[in-house]
Amino acid sequence: MFSTRRLVYLSLLLAMATTLHVLEGLFPIPLPFPGVKLGLANIVTLLVLYLYDLRAAMTVAIARVLLGSLLGGTFFAPAFFLGLTGAVISTLIMALLVKKTTCFSPLGISLCGAVSHNLGQLLMASFLLQNQAIFFYLPILLLGAIPTGLVTGYLLQGLLERLKAAGILAELTRN
Amino acid sequence: MTRADKVLIAAVLLCALLGLVTIYRHFFISADQLLPTQATITVAGKVLHTIDLDPVGGNEMMQITGRLGPATVEVAGGRIRMREANCPEQICVKQSWIQAPGSTIVCLPGEIIIHIDGLAPVDAVTR
Repeated sequence: MFSTRRLVYLSLLLAMATTLHVLEGLFPIPLPFPGVKLGLANIVTLLVLYLYDLRAAMTVAIARVLLGSLLGGTFFAPAFFLGLTGAVISTLIMALLVKKTTCFSPLGISLCGAVSHNLGQLLMASFLLQNQAIFFYLPILLLGAIPTGLVTGYLLQGLLERLKAAGILAELTRN
Repeated sequence: MTRADKVLIAAVLLCALLGLVTIYRHFFISADQLLPTQATITVAGKVLHTIDLDPVGGNEMMQITGRLGPATVEVAGGRIRMREANCPEQICVKQSWIQAPGSTIVCLPGEIIIHIDGLAPVDAVTR
Protein backbone atom coordinates (compact mmCIF):
# COMPACT_ATOMS: atom_id res chain seq x y z
CA MET A 1 0.00 0.00 0.00
CA PHE A 2 0.93 3.65 -0.03
CA SER A 3 3.13 5.05 2.71
CA THR A 4 1.28 7.16 5.27
CA ARG A 5 2.78 10.36 3.92
CA ARG A 6 1.73 9.54 0.37
CA LEU A 7 -1.70 8.40 1.54
CA VAL A 8 -2.26 11.79 3.16
CA TYR A 9 -1.16 13.70 0.06
CA LEU A 10 -3.24 11.48 -2.22
CA SER A 11 -6.26 12.01 0.03
CA LEU A 12 -5.83 15.78 -0.16
CA LEU A 13 -5.42 15.60 -3.93
CA LEU A 14 -8.51 13.37 -4.15
CA ALA A 15 -10.47 15.93 -2.15
CA MET A 16 -9.33 18.65 -4.56
CA ALA A 17 -10.21 16.53 -7.59
CA THR A 18 -13.67 15.79 -6.18
CA THR A 19 -14.23 19.47 -5.44
CA LEU A 20 -13.23 20.47 -8.98
CA HIS A 21 -15.40 17.67 -10.40
CA VAL A 22 -18.47 18.80 -8.46
CA LEU A 23 -17.88 22.54 -8.97
CA GLU A 24 -17.52 22.01 -12.69
CA GLY A 25 -20.84 20.16 -12.77
CA LEU A 26 -22.48 23.25 -11.27
CA PHE A 27 -21.28 25.53 -14.06
CA PRO A 28 -21.96 23.94 -17.45
CA ILE A 29 -20.27 25.54 -20.43
CA PRO A 30 -22.91 27.54 -22.32
CA LEU A 31 -22.47 25.65 -25.59
CA PRO A 32 -25.19 23.76 -27.44
CA PHE A 33 -23.14 20.55 -27.31
CA PRO A 34 -23.70 18.28 -24.31
CA GLY A 35 -20.56 16.53 -23.08
CA VAL A 36 -18.14 19.37 -23.81
CA LYS A 37 -16.62 20.53 -20.53
CA LEU A 38 -13.29 21.75 -19.23
CA GLY A 39 -12.29 18.64 -17.30
CA LEU A 40 -10.67 20.56 -14.44
CA ALA A 41 -10.52 17.42 -12.30
CA ASN A 42 -8.20 15.97 -14.92
CA ILE A 43 -5.56 18.47 -13.73
CA VAL A 44 -5.32 16.55 -10.48
CA THR A 45 -5.17 13.13 -12.19
CA LEU A 46 -2.35 14.37 -14.39
CA LEU A 47 -0.58 16.02 -11.43
CA VAL A 48 -0.66 12.70 -9.56
CA LEU A 49 0.78 11.01 -12.65
CA TYR A 50 3.64 13.51 -12.72
CA LEU A 51 4.24 13.17 -8.95
CA TYR A 52 3.67 9.45 -8.49
CA ASP A 53 2.60 6.56 -10.70
CA LEU A 54 -0.25 4.98 -12.63
CA ARG A 55 -1.62 3.13 -9.61
CA ALA A 56 -1.91 6.32 -7.55
CA ALA A 57 -3.43 8.26 -10.45
CA MET A 58 -5.94 5.50 -11.24
CA THR A 59 -6.96 5.32 -7.59
CA VAL A 60 -7.52 9.07 -7.45
CA ALA A 61 -9.36 9.14 -10.80
CA ILE A 62 -11.78 6.29 -9.97
CA ALA A 63 -12.37 7.48 -6.40
CA ARG A 64 -12.98 10.99 -7.72
CA VAL A 65 -15.66 9.80 -10.16
CA LEU A 66 -17.29 7.70 -7.41
CA LEU A 67 -17.31 10.55 -4.85
CA GLY A 68 -18.31 13.14 -7.47
CA SER A 69 -21.28 11.07 -8.59
CA LEU A 70 -22.37 10.49 -4.99
CA LEU A 71 -22.23 14.24 -4.32
CA GLY A 72 -23.87 15.09 -7.62
CA GLY A 73 -26.57 12.44 -7.34
CA THR A 74 -25.63 10.61 -10.53
CA PHE A 75 -24.26 7.43 -8.88
CA PHE A 76 -24.89 4.48 -11.27
CA ALA A 77 -26.69 6.81 -13.70
CA PRO A 78 -25.56 6.65 -17.38
CA ALA A 79 -23.44 9.79 -16.88
CA PHE A 80 -21.56 8.00 -14.10
CA PHE A 81 -20.56 5.11 -16.37
CA LEU A 82 -19.56 7.51 -19.14
CA GLY A 83 -17.39 9.52 -16.73
CA LEU A 84 -15.86 6.40 -15.21
CA THR A 85 -14.89 4.85 -18.56
CA GLY A 86 -13.55 8.17 -19.77
CA ALA A 87 -11.51 8.66 -16.60
CA VAL A 88 -10.02 5.14 -16.65
CA ILE A 89 -9.07 5.23 -20.33
CA SER A 90 -7.67 8.77 -20.23
CA THR A 91 -5.63 7.93 -17.10
CA LEU A 92 -4.16 4.89 -18.88
CA ILE A 93 -3.29 6.89 -22.00
CA MET A 94 -1.83 9.81 -20.05
CA ALA A 95 0.22 7.42 -17.87
CA LEU A 96 1.65 5.85 -21.00
CA LEU A 97 2.61 9.27 -22.37
CA VAL A 98 4.00 10.65 -19.10
CA LYS A 99 6.07 7.59 -18.27
CA LYS A 100 7.15 6.34 -21.72
CA THR A 101 7.59 9.47 -23.85
CA THR A 102 9.53 12.69 -23.40
CA CYS A 103 8.41 14.73 -26.39
CA PHE A 104 5.09 16.01 -24.98
CA SER A 105 4.59 18.90 -22.58
CA PRO A 106 1.69 18.85 -20.08
CA LEU A 107 -0.40 20.60 -22.78
CA GLY A 108 -0.07 17.74 -25.25
CA ILE A 109 -0.60 15.08 -22.60
CA SER A 110 -3.66 16.87 -21.27
CA LEU A 111 -5.02 17.08 -24.83
CA CYS A 112 -4.48 13.33 -25.27
CA GLY A 113 -6.26 12.84 -21.95
CA ALA A 114 -9.24 14.89 -23.17
CA VAL A 115 -9.41 13.02 -26.48
CA SER A 116 -9.13 9.59 -24.85
CA HIS A 117 -11.72 10.62 -22.28
CA ASN A 118 -14.11 11.41 -25.14
CA LEU A 119 -13.31 8.11 -26.84
CA GLY A 120 -13.91 6.19 -23.62
CA GLN A 121 -17.19 8.02 -23.05
CA LEU A 122 -18.43 7.24 -26.55
CA LEU A 123 -17.35 3.59 -26.26
CA MET A 124 -19.41 3.27 -23.09
CA ALA A 125 -22.30 5.25 -24.59
CA SER A 126 -22.39 3.02 -27.67
CA PHE A 127 -22.37 -0.01 -25.37
CA LEU A 128 -25.16 1.37 -23.17
CA LEU A 129 -27.29 2.44 -26.15
CA GLN A 130 -26.38 -0.66 -28.21
CA ASN A 131 -25.85 1.74 -31.08
CA GLN A 132 -22.68 2.78 -32.90
CA ALA A 133 -24.23 5.90 -34.44
CA ILE A 134 -23.19 7.86 -31.33
CA PHE A 135 -19.66 7.93 -32.80
CA PHE A 136 -20.88 10.51 -35.29
CA TYR A 137 -20.67 12.85 -32.31
CA LEU A 138 -16.91 12.29 -32.00
CA PRO A 139 -15.76 15.11 -34.34
CA ILE A 140 -17.69 17.68 -32.31
CA LEU A 141 -16.26 16.31 -29.06
CA LEU A 142 -12.77 16.37 -30.62
CA LEU A 143 -13.18 20.02 -31.61
CA GLY A 144 -14.19 20.72 -28.02
CA ALA A 145 -11.30 18.65 -26.63
CA ILE A 146 -8.65 20.84 -28.25
CA PRO A 147 -9.34 24.06 -26.31
CA THR A 148 -10.39 22.33 -23.09
CA GLY A 149 -7.42 19.93 -23.11
CA LEU A 150 -5.00 22.77 -23.77
CA VAL A 151 -6.49 24.99 -21.05
CA THR A 152 -6.25 22.27 -18.39
CA GLY A 153 -2.75 21.38 -19.59
CA TYR A 154 -1.74 25.02 -19.37
CA LEU A 155 -3.11 25.26 -15.84
CA LEU A 156 -1.17 22.14 -14.84
CA GLN A 157 2.02 23.51 -16.37
CA GLY A 158 1.67 26.70 -14.34
CA LEU A 159 0.87 24.69 -11.24
CA LEU A 160 3.95 22.46 -11.65
CA GLU A 161 6.20 25.50 -12.14
CA ARG A 162 4.85 27.19 -9.02
CA LEU A 163 5.05 24.02 -6.92
CA LYS A 164 8.64 23.62 -8.02
CA ALA A 165 9.53 27.25 -7.29
CA ALA A 166 7.95 27.03 -3.85
CA GLY A 167 9.84 23.82 -3.06
CA ILE A 168 6.59 21.90 -2.49
CA LEU A 169 7.16 19.54 -5.40
CA ALA A 170 10.15 17.93 -3.65
CA GLU A 171 8.16 17.67 -0.43
CA LEU A 172 5.23 16.03 -2.19
CA THR A 173 7.36 13.35 -3.84
CA ARG A 174 9.55 12.65 -0.78
CA ASN A 175 8.87 9.14 0.44
CA MET B 1 4.54 23.79 -25.83
CA THR B 2 6.76 21.36 -27.70
CA ARG B 3 6.89 20.50 -31.36
CA ALA B 4 5.17 17.18 -30.69
CA ASP B 5 2.33 19.07 -28.98
CA LYS B 6 1.75 21.15 -32.10
CA VAL B 7 1.76 18.07 -34.34
CA LEU B 8 -0.73 16.49 -31.95
CA ILE B 9 -3.05 19.51 -32.02
CA ALA B 10 -2.92 19.57 -35.81
CA ALA B 11 -3.67 15.83 -35.97
CA VAL B 12 -6.69 16.08 -33.66
CA LEU B 13 -7.98 19.11 -35.54
CA LEU B 14 -7.57 17.29 -38.85
CA CYS B 15 -9.39 14.20 -37.55
CA ALA B 16 -12.25 16.35 -36.24
CA LEU B 17 -12.62 18.31 -39.48
CA LEU B 18 -12.39 15.18 -41.67
CA GLY B 19 -15.01 13.54 -39.48
CA LEU B 20 -17.31 16.56 -39.74
CA VAL B 21 -16.93 16.66 -43.52
CA THR B 22 -17.66 12.92 -43.79
CA ILE B 23 -20.76 13.23 -41.65
CA TYR B 24 -21.92 16.31 -43.52
CA ARG B 25 -21.63 14.48 -46.84
CA HIS B 26 -23.23 11.36 -45.44
CA PHE B 27 -26.30 13.05 -44.01
CA PHE B 28 -26.88 16.30 -45.81
CA ILE B 29 -25.68 15.91 -49.37
CA SER B 30 -27.33 12.51 -49.84
CA ALA B 31 -30.62 13.96 -48.62
CA ASP B 32 -30.48 16.48 -51.47
CA GLN B 33 -29.74 13.81 -54.02
CA LEU B 34 -33.07 12.04 -53.70
CA LEU B 35 -34.79 10.71 -56.77
CA PRO B 36 -36.50 13.41 -58.80
CA THR B 37 -40.00 13.87 -57.47
CA GLN B 38 -43.03 13.37 -59.66
CA ALA B 39 -46.45 14.91 -59.51
CA THR B 40 -49.60 13.27 -60.80
CA ILE B 41 -52.65 15.18 -61.91
CA THR B 42 -55.86 13.22 -61.55
CA VAL B 43 -59.18 14.37 -62.98
CA ALA B 44 -62.36 12.54 -62.02
CA GLY B 45 -60.38 9.53 -60.79
CA LYS B 46 -58.25 9.14 -63.93
CA VAL B 47 -54.53 9.97 -64.00
CA LEU B 48 -54.20 12.64 -66.65
CA HIS B 49 -50.52 13.62 -66.39
CA THR B 50 -47.36 12.56 -64.59
CA ILE B 51 -44.86 15.41 -64.42
CA ASP B 52 -41.23 15.41 -63.26
CA LEU B 53 -40.65 18.20 -60.78
CA ASP B 54 -37.16 19.25 -61.86
CA PRO B 55 -35.72 21.64 -59.23
CA VAL B 56 -33.87 23.60 -61.93
CA GLY B 57 -36.56 23.40 -64.58
CA GLY B 58 -38.23 26.42 -66.10
CA ASN B 59 -41.87 27.42 -66.02
CA GLU B 60 -44.38 25.13 -67.61
CA MET B 61 -48.11 25.73 -67.95
CA MET B 62 -50.57 22.92 -68.47
CA GLN B 63 -54.16 23.33 -69.51
CA ILE B 64 -56.45 20.68 -68.12
CA THR B 65 -60.19 20.29 -68.16
CA GLY B 66 -61.97 19.48 -64.94
CA ARG B 67 -65.66 19.02 -64.27
CA LEU B 68 -66.20 22.79 -64.11
CA GLY B 69 -64.21 23.54 -67.25
CA PRO B 70 -60.60 24.54 -67.95
CA ALA B 71 -57.94 24.97 -65.28
CA THR B 72 -54.25 25.91 -65.49
CA VAL B 73 -51.52 24.07 -63.59
CA GLU B 74 -48.10 25.71 -63.35
CA VAL B 75 -44.82 23.87 -62.71
CA ALA B 76 -41.66 25.80 -61.84
CA GLY B 77 -38.46 25.20 -59.86
CA GLY B 78 -39.53 21.83 -58.47
CA ARG B 79 -42.87 23.19 -57.29
CA ILE B 80 -46.38 22.92 -58.64
CA ARG B 81 -49.56 24.93 -58.14
CA MET B 82 -53.03 25.47 -59.48
CA ARG B 83 -52.68 28.79 -61.23
CA GLU B 84 -56.23 29.23 -62.38
CA ALA B 85 -59.43 27.30 -61.96
CA ASN B 86 -63.00 28.32 -62.36
CA CYS B 87 -64.32 26.78 -59.19
CA PRO B 88 -66.32 29.02 -56.82
CA GLU B 89 -64.16 29.00 -53.70
CA GLN B 90 -60.69 29.00 -55.35
CA ILE B 91 -59.32 26.90 -52.50
CA CYS B 92 -56.98 25.04 -54.83
CA VAL B 93 -55.60 28.29 -56.23
CA LYS B 94 -55.18 29.89 -52.80
CA GLN B 95 -53.21 26.88 -51.56
CA SER B 96 -50.46 28.09 -53.92
CA TRP B 97 -47.21 26.14 -54.41
CA ILE B 98 -46.57 22.65 -53.06
CA GLN B 99 -43.24 20.82 -53.33
CA ALA B 100 -42.81 18.29 -50.51
CA PRO B 101 -43.45 14.60 -51.33
CA GLY B 102 -46.88 13.64 -50.07
CA SER B 103 -48.40 17.11 -50.51
CA THR B 104 -51.71 17.37 -52.32
CA ILE B 105 -53.83 20.07 -53.88
CA VAL B 106 -57.49 19.14 -54.27
CA CYS B 107 -60.10 21.00 -56.27
CA LEU B 108 -63.23 19.28 -55.07
CA PRO B 109 -65.80 20.89 -57.40
CA GLY B 110 -63.51 20.40 -60.39
CA GLU B 111 -62.59 16.85 -59.32
CA ILE B 112 -58.90 17.66 -59.85
CA ILE B 113 -56.20 16.24 -57.60
CA ILE B 114 -52.54 17.26 -57.84
CA HIS B 115 -50.42 14.93 -55.74
CA ILE B 116 -46.64 14.83 -55.29
CA ASP B 117 -45.58 11.20 -55.15
CA GLY B 118 -43.73 9.74 -52.22
CA LEU B 119 -44.14 9.59 -48.52
CA ALA B 120 -44.38 12.76 -46.50
CA PRO B 121 -41.06 13.44 -44.72
CA VAL B 122 -41.02 12.28 -41.13
CA ASP B 123 -41.18 15.02 -38.48
CA ALA B 124 -39.78 12.90 -35.68
CA VAL B 125 -39.29 9.31 -34.60
CA THR B 126 -39.91 8.09 -31.09
CA ARG B 127 -39.12 4.73 -29.63
